[in-house]
Amino acid sequence: MKLLSSYLKEMKIASRGFYFYIEIFVAIILLLVILVGVDPNPDSKMVEYIYYDMPEEVYEFIIDKDIKEGKIRQIDDTELELKPVEFEVSNKESGEIISYTYEEKKTVLSKTYQKLNPDTGKVKSTIYILDNEEDIQRLSVTTGDIAATITANEEGEFSYRYFLQGYEKERFSNILYILHTYSPDEVDAQRDLQVVREIGVTERMNNQEAVVPVFVTFAGALMGFFIIMSYIYLDKDEGVISAFAVTPSAVWKYLLSKTFVIITTVVISSSIIVIPIMRLKPNYLLFYMFLMIITYAFAALGLLVASFFDSISKAFGVLYLTMIALMLPAFSYYISSFDPLWLRFFPTYPVLQGFKGILVGQADLAYVLTYSLVFLVAGTLLLALANIRFKKSLSV
Amino acid sequence: MMKKIIRIFRKDATIATRDAMLIYIIVIPILLAIGILFFAPGVTDSAVKVAMFESDAPAHIEYMENYVQVEQFDSMKEIERRVGKRDDVVGIVPVNEGYEIIVEGNEDQSAIESAEVLNTLFELGATRENTTAEILDFGKTVPPLKTKLVNMLILMVIMLAGMIISLGIVEEKSDNTISAMNVTPVSQNGFIIGKSLLGGFVALGSIVVALLIMGYFDINWLMILLVGLTSMILTFVIGFIQGLGSDDVIEAAAGVKMTMLPIAGSIAGYELLADKWQWTMYWSPFYWAYKANDLILSKAADWGTVLICIAAVTGLSMAIYFISIPKIRKGLS
Repeated sequence: MKLLSSYLKEMKIASRGFYFYIEIFVAIILLLVILVGVDPNPDSKMVEYIYYDMPEEVYEFIIDKDIKEGKIRQIDDTELELKPVEFEVSNKESGEIISYTYEEKKTVLSKTYQKLNPDTGKVKSTIYILDNEEDIQRLSVTTGDIAATITANEEGEFSYRYFLQGYEKERFSNILYILHTYSPDEVDAQRDLQVVREIGVTERMNNQEAVVPVFVTFAGALMGFFIIMSYIYLDKDEGVISAFAVTPSAVWKYLLSKTFVIITTVVISSSIIVIPIMRLKPNYLLFYMFLMIITYAFAALGLLVASFFDSISKAFGVLYLTMIALMLPAFSYYISSFDPLWLRFFPTYPVLQGFKGILVGQADLAYVLTYSLVFLVAGTLLLALANIRFKKSLSV
Repeated sequence: MMKKIIRIFRKDATIATRDAMLIYIIVIPILLAIGILFFAPGVTDSAVKVAMFESDAPAHIEYMENYVQVEQFDSMKEIERRVGKRDDVVGIVPVNEGYEIIVEGNEDQSAIESAEVLNTLFELGATRENTTAEILDFGKTVPPLKTKLVNMLILMVIMLAGMIISLGIVEEKSDNTISAMNVTPVSQNGFIIGKSLLGGFVALGSIVVALLIMGYFDINWLMILLVGLTSMILTFVIGFIQGLGSDDVIEAAAGVKMTMLPIAGSIAGYELLADKWQWTMYWSPFYWAYKANDLILSKAADWGTVLICIAAVTGLSMAIYFISIPKIRKGLS
C-alpha cells in the first residue's frame, strides 16, 4: 500500500515536470518522421558506371536481351558532372600504376538503366552507361561507386575490368574474379539442381518497422538508465533521500517507486511508436512484459551507479561509457556483416533480438522467457545492491 | 574584459578537473576513436554468411571461406538454429550427391543468391585461374563506413561539449553563483564566452586527437579546423540554451534527449534522403556540419562547398543564439 501511494505520488510529481512531456513529444515526433520520412521498401541507392568496349550492335543485343528478360529497364538519360581530379590506378597483379590528371570540369549525357529484382520489381541498382573508360574512372573515384569496362573480342568472348576503390575486402575481389569463370547459362543450369529448403515463414521487417526495436531498446529502456540517475540526483539536491532517514518508509520502496515511474514513462512513449507502426502484428502481452522487465533491469543498474556518486557530473563518465557500450549491438543490428562473438555478451544484444521477434509476431517464446527471467533476476539483484548502498549512506 | 573571460575559463577548467569531468570529456572521444579503429575492418567484411557442417569436405569449407564468412556446426539442428537467428545466414549442407541450401525465408535476396551461386561455382570447379576478370583499384584505404562513424563521433563530441556547458550552468544555478556573478564587474557577454570556452576548446581538441588516432593525417586540416571552430559556436548555443533553460538536472537531461533528435535526424537525412529532398534538412546546423565533415574526411571537399556549409552552420547557430538572447539574459539574471 505504501509502495502504491509512493508510486502515485512520484507519478504526480513526474507528470508536473518537463521531462515527462519531452519523452512523449520525442516519441510523437519520431513517429511522424518514421511514417512520413521513411520509405517502407525503398529502392537501392547503389550505382554502377559501365563502359561497353564493343561494337554498337553487340552492346544493343545485350541490353535488349536484359530488357526483354525483365532484368533491367531504361529510364531518362542523366547528365553527369565530372569534376577535376587527380588519381592513380593500380593493378595489384602486375604491380602497374598509372596516374591520371583531369583539370577541366566536364558534363556528359549518360544512357541510364535500372537493374530490377525480378521477384519484387524493386530497383537493385542504377546503371550509367558511358562512352569511354576515362569517364567511368573519373566518376568512380569521385563518387566511390563501382565501375567496369566490359569488352567483347572478335570471337564474341567477354572480359571484364573492374575499378574498385582499394579499401574493399579481399573476399569481395575474389567473388568478382570467380563470377567470371563460367557463362551465366552454365551457372544457372547447375544452380537449378540445388535444393532450397525454407525452415521458417518469418516475415522480413520493412524499413519503417526496422526502426522500432532499436527505438524501444535505446530511446525507451536504455534511457531509463540515464533518467533514473537524473531523478535520484535531483532528489539528492533537494534533500529528499536524506529525509527518508526520518520516515517509517523503507528506502527500497522509494527506489522501486522511482523505477515504476520510469517503466510507466517508457511504456507510454514506446506505445506511441509501436502501436501505429506494428499494428496488430506483435503479441502485446509478451511485448509489454518484456519491455517492463528490461526497463526495470536498466533502471536498477542506473540506481546502483547513482549510489556511487554524489552528482551527475561525477557520474557522467560511467554513465556515458555505459550508454555507448550498450548501444554497440545496434551496429550489428543494422550491419549484418558485423556480428562478432564478443558483441553477443552485451545485454542489449539479446534485447534487440527479443524485441525484433516479438514485434513481427514471431517471437521465440523460450528465448524471450529465458531472457525475461535473466533480466528480472539481474534487475532484482542490482536493486538489492543499490538498496544496501543507499541505506548505508542515505546522503550519498 | 579578456582577462576576466580567461579567469572564468580557468575557473571552469579547474572545477572540471576536480570533478574528473574534463578527463572524461577528453578520454571518451579518444576511447571511441580507438574503438572505431578496431571496428572498421569488421564492419566492411563480406555481408554474406553461411553455416556449414564441421564434417563437410575441407576443400569445400576452404573454398567458401575465400568468398564469404563461414560458421561451422556439428549438427543439422545447430545449423537450422543459426539460420533462424535474426541476421542473414544461409545454410549449405551436403545431401545425396549435391547440396541443400537452407534459408529462413526472410533473408535479403542477394544473400541467398550469392550463397547459391558460390556453391554452384564450387560444384563446377571454378577457380580464379580461369577468370576473365581483371581488377584495378584507386588505392584508397579508408572505407566510407569508417568516415561515417568518425563523422558521427564528431557530432557526438559537439553534443558532449554542449552538455558540459549545460551541466556547468545548472550547477552554477543550484550554487547561486550566477546571481553572485551579476554583482561582479564581469559582463553577461564575458560570462557567456568564459563559460563556453572550456566546452568549445575541449570539443575541438578531442576532434583533432580522435582524427589523428584514426589515421586521418592527409585531410585538409584548415577546412576541418574551420568547420570545428564554427561547430564550437553551435556547441555554445546548445549548451547555453539547455543550461539556462533547465532549472535542474532532470530538465538538462530532457534537453539532451531533445538535442539528439536534430542530430540523429540530420545524419539520417543526409545519408538516406534522395538528392531532391536534401533541402528539407537545410534548417539544421548539424546537417551542414555533418555534410562538411563528410566531404572533408572523404577528400571530396572543395572550398566553395565547405565555405557554404561553414556559413550555414555559423548563420543558423547565430540565428538561434539571437532568438534566444532574451531567454539567456533572463536565465542569467
